[in-house]
Amino acid sequence: MRPAQAAPPRPGFRPPPPQQQQQFPPNIPRPGTPGQQPGPPGNNPIGYRPPMNGQLSPAQNFGPRPPINGGMPRPPHPQDQNQIQNAMRRPSAGGSSLPPSPSIQRPPMPNGAIGSQQSPLLQQQQLQQQYMQQGAPLQRPPPMGGAQRAPSPMIRPSTLSQPGSPGMPRPYQSPQIQARPPPGQFMGQGRPSVPGSPAMNQMVPPFGPMPPFGQNQSQPPTPQMPHQQQYQQQPPPLQDPNAGNLGSMSTPTPVAHGGAHKPKRMYPQGMDSYQDPASNSGFQPANIPGIPPPPGQNTLQPAGQTSQFFVPGEKQGSNFAQPGFQQAQPLAGQPLAGQPNMNQLTNQMGTMNVGPGYGFNTQASSQLSTVALMGAAPRILDLEAPPPSINLPANSSITNSPHANCDPSYKRSTLNAIPANSQLLQKSRIPFGLVITPYRSVKEGDEPVPVVSDSIIARCRRCRTYINPFVKFVEGGQRWKCNMCFTLNEVPSSFDYDSQTQQPVDRWQRKELNHAVVEYIAPAEYMVRPPQPLVYLFLIDVSYPAVQCGMVATAATTILESLDRIPNDEGRTKIGIITVDTSIHFYNLNTASQEPQMLVVSDLEEPFLPQPQDLLCNLKECRPTLEALLNRMSDMFKDTQSVGNALGPALQAAYKMVSPIGGKILCLQATLPNLEAGALKPREDPKLLGTSKESTLLQAGSSFYKTMAVECSKSQVCVDMFLFGSQYSDVATLSCLPRYTGGSTFFYPAFTAAKSEDALKFAHELAEFLAQRIALEAVMRVRASKGLRMSAFYGNFFVRSTDLLSLPNVPRDQSYSIEISYEDNLTIPIVCFQTALLHTSSSGERRIRVLTLALPVTNTLSDLFLSADQVAIATLLANKAVERGMNSKLDDARDALTNKCVDILGVYKTHMTASSSGATPNLQISDNLKLLPLLTLGMLKHVALRGGSQIPSDLRSYAMHLFSTLPSQCLIPYIHPRFYSLHNMPENCGTIGDNGIEMPMPMNLSSERLERGGLFMLEDSQNIFLWIGRDAVPQLCMDLFGVSNYESIRGGKTTLPSLESDFNQRVNLIVGKTREMRRSSYYPQLYVIKEDGDPALRLWFLSHLIEDRAEPVMSYHQYLGHLKDRVNSGSF
Amino acid sequence: MSAEAMVFLFGVIVGACLLFVKVFFVILISDLEVDYINPIELCNKLNQFVLPEMFVQAFMTSIFLVSGQWIATAWNLPLVAYNANKVMNGKHMFDATEIFRTLGQHKKECFIKLGFYLLSFFYYLYRMILALVNDS
Repeated sequence: MRPAQAAPPRPGFRPPPPQQQQQFPPNIPRPGTPGQQPGPPGNNPIGYRPPMNGQLSPAQNFGPRPPINGGMPRPPHPQDQNQIQNAMRRPSAGGSSLPPSPSIQRPPMPNGAIGSQQSPLLQQQQLQQQYMQQGAPLQRPPPMGGAQRAPSPMIRPSTLSQPGSPGMPRPYQSPQIQARPPPGQFMGQGRPSVPGSPAMNQMVPPFGPMPPFGQNQSQPPTPQMPHQQQYQQQPPPLQDPNAGNLGSMSTPTPVAHGGAHKPKRMYPQGMDSYQDPASNSGFQPANIPGIPPPPGQNTLQPAGQTSQFFVPGEKQGSNFAQPGFQQAQPLAGQPLAGQPNMNQLTNQMGTMNVGPGYGFNTQASSQLSTVALMGAAPRILDLEAPPPSINLPANSSITNSPHANCDPSYKRSTLNAIPANSQLLQKSRIPFGLVITPYRSVKEGDEPVPVVSDSIIARCRRCRTYINPFVKFVEGGQRWKCNMCFTLNEVPSSFDYDSQTQQPVDRWQRKELNHAVVEYIAPAEYMVRPPQPLVYLFLIDVSYPAVQCGMVATAATTILESLDRIPNDEGRTKIGIITVDTSIHFYNLNTASQEPQMLVVSDLEEPFLPQPQDLLCNLKECRPTLEALLNRMSDMFKDTQSVGNALGPALQAAYKMVSPIGGKILCLQATLPNLEAGALKPREDPKLLGTSKESTLLQAGSSFYKTMAVECSKSQVCVDMFLFGSQYSDVATLSCLPRYTGGSTFFYPAFTAAKSEDALKFAHELAEFLAQRIALEAVMRVRASKGLRMSAFYGNFFVRSTDLLSLPNVPRDQSYSIEISYEDNLTIPIVCFQTALLHTSSSGERRIRVLTLALPVTNTLSDLFLSADQVAIATLLANKAVERGMNSKLDDARDALTNKCVDILGVYKTHMTASSSGATPNLQISDNLKLLPLLTLGMLKHVALRGGSQIPSDLRSYAMHLFSTLPSQCLIPYIHPRFYSLHNMPENCGTIGDNGIEMPMPMNLSSERLERGGLFMLEDSQNIFLWIGRDAVPQLCMDLFGVSNYESIRGGKTTLPSLESDFNQRVNLIVGKTREMRRSSYYPQLYVIKEDGDPALRLWFLSHLIEDRAEPVMSYHQYLGHLKDRVNSGSF
Repeated sequence: MSAEAMVFLFGVIVGACLLFVKVFFVILISDLEVDYINPIELCNKLNQFVLPEMFVQAFMTSIFLVSGQWIATAWNLPLVAYNANKVMNGKHMFDATEIFRTLGQHKKECFIKLGFYLLSFFYYLYRMILALVNDS
């Protein structure tokens, strides 16, 4: 194999620099921001409110959130006394009992994430101040300036803990804590004695003896009333964090405060102490800030354990100071219970999640709270919520950097606490896997990935793990102990001493010890050849249909305009063009006359290169020739009559051109290849649709493309497909090439450039695609702690050995899912997953990006349920369903999805609720999994998997392709679109607020939300629909479309006119924002749907309303009923 | 040497070859599992033996049929049918892109065939010796 990847010492990877990305760039308002809720109910009947001057006061905005939530908190149902009591105890629940009153600054939002958005700027500033103050005294400046960057997401969690630090003003926390007398038992035990120190320390002892509290917590999750859930959930998060937060225990030692060197924590000790704890299970919830103690175990341990992690005076001899972050952790949770003051609560919420981002303990929800699913609309706002917090024991990372653990936008696990053995995992039935987006784009406002540029790469000599924030230094810092295989390795001397400047350096500052996502610049041993330059070879279909639909002209113009955006830092980028119809046309771009020279090869049986060089040219050198060619291209073929297309031979020729270097072949294909090798037949047979044979249409129709893909992968060639079809285009077969070469597929059904929207979409996507700073000749490997094994891989790549993925190109924002299985039981307290992506960056550097994710191990089922991440689970299930649908039957895939859902619900019912057997009237699941049934239903109703004979196999194949490549951020809206009501949105929606453009509140996907005179928007990250009711007032039509009445609005693909009216501008801003708020190069197209317009369009729109019944699939409530019946009749 | 002895001598030789081929398959597949070989090479190497192996086995069966060795024929026929079915469905080749997903099946199949050829080999050997003894 020539591949450059042949990574040196057994492809080892190093962890990329941890960099915390905010999931939501600050400028993107998230739903839930105050003021975004739909206006007060009872607008004029038609719903549309002409623009008003002056904004609503915040109070007004917050008031009732009518349509979405379904009204005010209802009085507790008598039957649910228990639950209610329970709820009342939880701080979170407290909110529920208070009706939202206008005077409340923020509406009580159930979810931590939401709270975070709402946090007032002021708080942030204060936090920041706090943080800085705290940081100041420390000897060592916080690594990477992390400390100063208070607002960054990762820091936030730590910030929370700060109140504990001595001398800090604790404006928000202390009042809260005091105000919230815990359920009687452990009052402010610790509090008074050490002001400012995390409550945990002192509280510990009391907890042991307090059975009542423990019991309370250990009760099986009690069902909550649906409405309670909806409105009141947030508090729970608060509660635990305090209680469970060990972090506070360990950190708040005087030493830390002093800012002096902290004693170094030795790995072995940490380990031992961690394991021997009094508690029966290996998982000690108490340690984890923000995580709810598992029932039964909860807060007990602290007494014995306090010293485990950090004992002042112990081991102080060490010279290694710990980074300043440490102190932050403790705070994470204060809440105890009962929570009187709404303001305080909200304050706290704000403090806790100051931004979008996930730290160790960002999320408050620490308690396993059970939600009843039936009888209430799903709380879709929680789709945006961050994943359950990762409750690592305090001090599990050596630097305690807030960036020490991987941000979920890079890598997230379906379980944020790992079962200790496969039996436990099996018992829970939750799928276990990782969703990795290693090369996600970094937008403005995101933190770039830190780069380690001194090429000191410390790796474990046995398992080749890269050094990361979770290793331990032992023997006085001379060696480090690998956190995967526990081998002792030498610490490179350059960690402490810079031989070039002859100065000592501070190893704690090293990026790889402070960040979970880092990038190393790789030395020569990571290359088998010099880093390849970027190569773009366009393979353009110029047969009659392609020219006719305008694809050729649009593509030529777009390429021409994008030439400056193609990454070309070193001037090495090469470019070439081949056009193909019944013969293959090559272009010599390096002519003296600057006139491109066309060379035609009509031997399709054995295509050859007409000349050995100059077909691929340096972009800079051949620029004039290339421009001349592109300018002329649309005219060159305008009279063509040829309907044949020889894609196969052209690909072979292109491969010959590119394979010596490696690179990218972009195929723009508008017809079905029908000549020689790789010829395809229009095999779509409507009779097969909807039958069990349908999946044959989803499999490759010719082995040529698979073989070709393997060849390409070997030579570091990536093939991307842009397919334009007015007829059948066999996406299933042609997308094989991208699938195995790390490419992307774009599909434009019924493309015609005469429609400016079509042309714009294609041009935008192609231009973005060309401008992407991709990675080349990459290999990716995921390592995990001993006992775990990567068992299945989903995504676009070629699996080169049992755990090595080869990606000739790594496009931005492509996601890969990996399923994990057990080889052995886990006896360690923390499990690590390290992904290493060895690649050549588009600037020509060989780099290794390393992502490290550390997760705690647990022995209890409740921890598993508490830490399950429904978004990651849905992503993994979507990938599995697609694979199943392609390889066996779509029916099987759908059944598998429903079965998985039933299993999870059944297990939860049997083991986590009081009613373990027998029929129950409702379905219950933990709060963090409550949207799983909805997401499952969304997949069942999605084009990719839906039954019925109406879906052309091209569309289905393309949807399946998107399922397996979209990152969670785009996939979730693709499965469960966002639905807004625009005619009555609050005044500030569509204006530019503190967080960028304010978006309206998303609504439940049900047609009962539609009003006859309303204007609604629905977007699924690929398309945007504007639905307009037939009774829309002329004023609305005038303001938005500039036409006098409803009848004159044109349905279908449209571009919104840009008018003077305020409403038009706001809608335009919202649409614009929708198009760019996610990380992807797709450009959602806008459709206007009239209520009485084209039935096909209308049905298409309505098919997105997944809570409705759509034959043959059930409505959401029917589906829940179906799940319930199966749960009640099965045994788990 | 009687015709029967000749036929079984042929069977022994062919059986031994098939046995070697299968051992080769098993070794390569194990190599893949421990990462000594990459899937593309593996498939390139194995695929060139797949059809010859099937053909030889089918040819041997037809020899048995022609020479009236009913037991040997009956023993071999199911495998011939199985192979034919695979070829007709186009699933007989190793596919580098799917190999890791299907590795378990391939391994199982290899071991079963290995056992089958081993048994066949000894049966042919026994019949050959029997025939030779009867001759003399």
